This record gives sequence, structure tokens and C-alpha cells, in this order.
Amino acid sequence: MNLKRVIAAAAAAAVALGMTVAVATPSTAAVNYCKATNLKTAGGMDALVKAAKKEGQLNVITLPRDWANYGEAMDLFSKAFGIKINDDNPDGSSAYEIQTIQTAPAAKQPDVVDIGVAALNGVTGAGRPSLFANYKVATFNHIPADWKDAGGAWYGDYQGIIALAYDSSVSPAPTKISDLTNPAYKGMVALGGDPSGAQQAFMSVFAASVAKGGSATNIQPGIDFFKDLKKSGNFTSVVANGENYVSGAYKISLSWNFNGPGAIASAKAAGKTLKYVIPTDAVLAGTPYIQAINKKAPHCAAARLWEEFLYSENKGKLSSQLTKADLKLSGSKLFAKIMGGQNIFVLGGATPINKDAMIKAKKIVNGPAGLNIPKGAKIIQPNPDQQDAAKKLVVAQWPTL
Amino acid sequence: MSRIEVTHLDRKGTPNWGALTGRLLGLILGLAPLLVFMSVFFFWPLWNVLWTSFQDNYGKFSFENYGEVFQEPYLTAFKNSIGLGLISAVTSSIPGAILAYLIESRGGERLRRLVASVSSVLANTGGVPLAFMFIAAFGMEGSATLFLKLLGINIYSGDFTLFSFAGIVFVYTYFQIPMMVIVFSPAIHGIRNEWQEAARSLGASRLQFWKNIGLPLIFPSFIAAFLLLFASAFSAFATARAMSSGTIALVPLMIGNLVDGNVLAEQMNLGKALAMGMVIVSALAMIPYLVIQRRAARWQK
Repeated sequence: MNLKRVIAAAAAAAVALGMTVAVATPSTAAVNYCKATNLKTAGGMDALVKAAKKEGQLNVITLPRDWANYGEAMDLFSKAFGIKINDDNPDGSSAYEIQTIQTAPAAKQPDVVDIGVAALNGVTGAGRPSLFANYKVATFNHIPADWKDAGGAWYGDYQGIIALAYDSSVSPAPTKISDLTNPAYKGMVALGGDPSGAQQAFMSVFAASVAKGGSATNIQPGIDFFKDLKKSGNFTSVVANGENYVSGAYKISLSWNFNGPGAIASAKAAGKTLKYVIPTDAVLAGTPYIQAINKKAPHCAAARLWEEFLYSENKGKLSSQLTKADLKLSGSKLFAKIMGGQNIFVLGGATPINKDAMIKAKKIVNGPAGLNIPKGAKIIQPNPDQQDAAKKLVVAQWPTL
Repeated sequence: MSRIEVTHLDRKGTPNWGALTGRLLGLILGLAPLLVFMSVFFFWPLWNVLWTSFQDNYGKFSFENYGEVFQEPYLTAFKNSIGLGLISAVTSSIPGAILAYLIESRGGERLRRLVASVSSVLANTGGVPLAFMFIAAFGMEGSATLFLKLLGINIYSGDFTLFSFAGIVFVYTYFQIPMMVIVFSPAIHGIRNEWQEAARSLGASRLQFWKNIGLPLIFPSFIAAFLLLFASAFSAFATARAMSSGTIALVPLMIGNLVDGNVLAEQMNLGKALAMGMVIVSALAMIPYLVIQRRAARWQK
């Protein structure tokens, strides 16, 4: 009996030892990238890049090219690693992302998602099966604790601040949200959609509320503000987007600052001059968008490499600056040479989630000019619970504005 | 038909099972494509919406969603949507019917064909492109607005706005009137010249003919077309969304926010319950349509 036990224990120890050895030297054993929970278990950067290149593709979903500089992020990733990116329904919603995970066939599954907090709350929590794979990026510790799942199932990536966008012909130029009541702006003011459905429009109403004496816990002054603007004829319910702006259907809107650089470039191409400014009477920060790897990801290695890339704090080369020699470098050297995703967000006007750590380490690049937060301004950021409470008021009152 | 009916009984009057089975098989095979199509694109989605409308966000059975349907702002939304459907149907069916009559009675064959093809293009214009066309034409700096300004007419000097309930009704006429022309022309075409001639030879005036014969004949078709216009305005989504930013309470916009929005995620199945509400309203509108259509068919035999 005793002998048997000893043998069993010895065998178990041998197996355990064998496993430890296998994990410690990943080059000798094939890595299952779908189970990799960090760069180490993924076999290091060289191995991860190699595996991702072998997969050759990455399925992303609802990423507009001019949203938070995602166009550059996708171009750079694609060029550096030779991975084709398939972007399903670029203008779709967070709800579309979740529904696709729940219903799409295996090959059409997104590898990674970028969703709003509301959509995240709709699918996480007790009693719900997790849709996401645990993976901790190398800079995981830099992400504020409030904006990540402790196990690494999801993490915030970037956030925006509500800005005033206006055509250069508007006179006088608005500098704060309360300026929008000016009778000179009749029929000129628009929002980026229905605040009961579009997060950008919803947070714009929040910003208006802050400007009119409201707070993170009180959105009512914002709803009242737009009610007055509608009454005076300043607010037009046309949706603020590129086409409508170029056609002259509106001239002033409230928008995420990180949509500024893209919108300004498109306007310029259409012969218009669009300006962005952070209003002096309300600096409203959104909740970060959430990044996560789909549990059913068809390209597990590429998905993990994409996350490492998005959370990289490197200052480096953009897609247009990569040379042929760069592309011949080993995976880890190439990764260290390219601009990290966190700084790509900065270049797009967004606030990266790792901002504090990046400032401390002097790793942050300069964002686009003109989108600076007014000095000494108090940044208001309604948390998800405060947003939930505000939504109820907006849903009830907006349809009869 | 009658040939087959005879052959399924043999001379002794006992059923000819072979012929019967063959007939049944033929019937099933003939209907199969339609049944498959209906199952995939109609019954299955409908069942899905119905089933999930009775679930809470955790997938548990619940009546919760239907409790909310009868509360604000959804109640107002149903009132507005039904109102929009009715007003749009009235404002488009009458001009459309008159247009159809003029073209059928006065126009030549070539004009009739031209109108038919143009109408079918216009009747299928909708969604965001339609909204954008009107915004580009009648918006604050739209081409039509600027042209009228040149003529000294400033449509924006008063309270005019394209982005209101009335504005949406106005925009909808763009596809509703052509739809009326398409649907209603065959009914007018069906009034045979012989009837007019017969009535006249019996001494009836033109007015008498229309009052006693013509209108009663085309009335069922008119109502049927009216209900079709109602259904199309009642359920239209993208145009209204692009023009109102949700400032007008309409059911399809609210379903859109609940099912495919970025702001609300906890009440997706409430959207399904609202959708069932729309199915019921549409079904109720279809009942008189079917009854009247049957009557119209009898008249036209």
C-alpha cells in the first residue's frame, strides 16, 4: 500500500515537473494560443508574432477608420505583421458586436471587440456565461483598476471628451456650450444622433447639463437646454455626420474630440474648414470604451498580438514610415519599433487608458493641436451607474422634446 | 384540376390511392419553395421575436416587457406611429389615386408605361438616402432652398422645418404617391369601357356612372391600397431616424435604440415586445385588407 502511494506520488510529481518544464520552455511544446493568458504563456513576442503571421488574418468589428485613429492603427498593424484585417460593419453599434458573437458562424466571429460600457454591462455579471477570453496585456498594470476585469476578460482602451465642432463660417465662433443659444445660430446646431441610442449624443446632452449647472448626477438641465434650443429653432434634428455637414444642413455640433482629426480632414477634402474646440464651460469625459478578446476568436494569436499592440506605449514609426528593412526584423524588434496603440489613440485626439503611466514614463506623444483641455478646468466623468440613471430621464423625455 | 379530381376515384368509387398520393406529393412539392422561403424569412424570425419578447435580459421567462409597452414613452410612440401611418396614407392615397386616374384615362400607352417604371423606382426610394435627398434640397443650405431664395422666397423665414412630424409626412409622399399609383392603376384599368358605354346608352350621366358604378367598383381597391400605404409609413425607420434624431416618438426608432443602440443594453427584449406590438397593429390593418380584397376579387370576376 505504502509503496503504491509512494510510486503514485512520485509519478504525480514527475508529471507535474514535466508540465512545469513544458510551460517554462514553450519552444519545445506547441502553444495553444486560444488558452494563452499573457505574453509569457504565449511564448514571448517573437513566437506570438510568428503564430499571428501564420494565421494571417484578424477579424475586427465596427471600427470606423476615422474613429479614434483606428484607420492608422489597422494600417500599421496590417503592414508591420503582414496580417489582413477584416472590419465587419464599420459603422455598426456595440449591440451589433455582441449579437454577432452570440449568433455568427465560427468563421465570421470577431477576434476582438471594442464596445461601450452599457453593452459590457449587458453581457457580464452573475449568472451570465462569459463571452470573452482572459488575457492580460504586458501593460496590464498600467490600466486603472476601475477599468479592467481582474482576470483580464476585458479592459478599457481610450476615452473621449465632448468638443464643440463648428464650421469656420460661423460667426461669432462658439467657445462654450451656453453660447449655442445665440439667435445667430438659428437652425445650425445638431447632435450626432439620438441620445437614447447613440453614446456620443447622450454624452453631449450630459455636457450641456454640466454647462448649465447640472452634474454627473443630474442630466436634467441638459435635456432642458436642448428643449429650449429646439423651441428657439437653433437645434435641428438632422443627424450630425459628414454628409449632412458638407451639405450645409447644420454648422455646429457636439462630438467626441477623437473624431476631430478625421472629420477635419474629410471636411478639408470637401472644401470646408471645420474647427474643434473643448468648451470652456464643460469638460465632460466619457467612460472608456472596452476592449476584449472573443472566446470564440478564430485567430487566437492575432487577437492577442492586436491587444498587445493596442496597449503598447511605444513611441515609434507609423505605417507610412516603415521601411523594408524594418519589416525584416524579428517579431519582438519590429514590435518595439512601431508606434504603440496607446500613442496612436493620442494622435487621434483620444485619451489613452494608460495615460498616467505614460506621462510618468515620458512616453506620451503630443496630441493634435486645438484639442487641449482649458487650463484649470474640472473634468467631469459620469460613471456607469450615473449614466444608467440619466438614461432613464433621456429615454422618457427626448421623444417629446 | 377537374381532370385530376375525377381520376382519384376509380370506377367503383373507391379511392385511387396512387393518384391521390401523387396529387398530394405534387401539391407539397409545388408549395415547398414558398414554404421554405416563408419559414426562413417570416415564421422563424417571427417566432424568435415572439419567444424572446417573453424573456428578461437573463433569458428567463417574464411578462415584464409587455408591462412596459403600455407605459410612456412607448404609448405615445404607438399613438404617433399609427397617426403618422394614417396621415401619410391620407395625404398620399388621394393625390396618388387622382394621378392614377388621369394617367389611365387620359394618357397614352407610352405615358402609362413611363409612369409605371418611374413610379416603381420612386416607390422603392427610402431610408437614409431619401432623407439626405431632402436635406440636400430643402435643408438650411439646400439647393432648392437657395434657388427659392434667389427668387425672393425664404422658406426658413418663418417656422418651417423639415425636421418635424409634418416634415416627415412631406418626405414620405415622395415614395408613397408613386406606390399608390402602382397599386391603384390596375383597379382603374379594370373598369371596362363597355360598362361606361352601356351606362351611357341607358341614359346615365358621367357623374351618375361614377357615383353608382365606378366608385363602388374601385372603392375596395382604394381601401386596400390605403392600408398598404398605412403599413409602409407606420413601419418606416431609417428616414425618420435620420431626420428626427429621436425627437419624435415613433415605435420603430425606439425599437432601433433598444435592439441596436449603444446607450441601452439592459432592455433588448423590450424592443422585441414593441416589435410584437407593431406586428399586431399591422395584422389588424391586414384584416380589413383581406376582407375587402376578397370582395374586390368577387366584383372583378
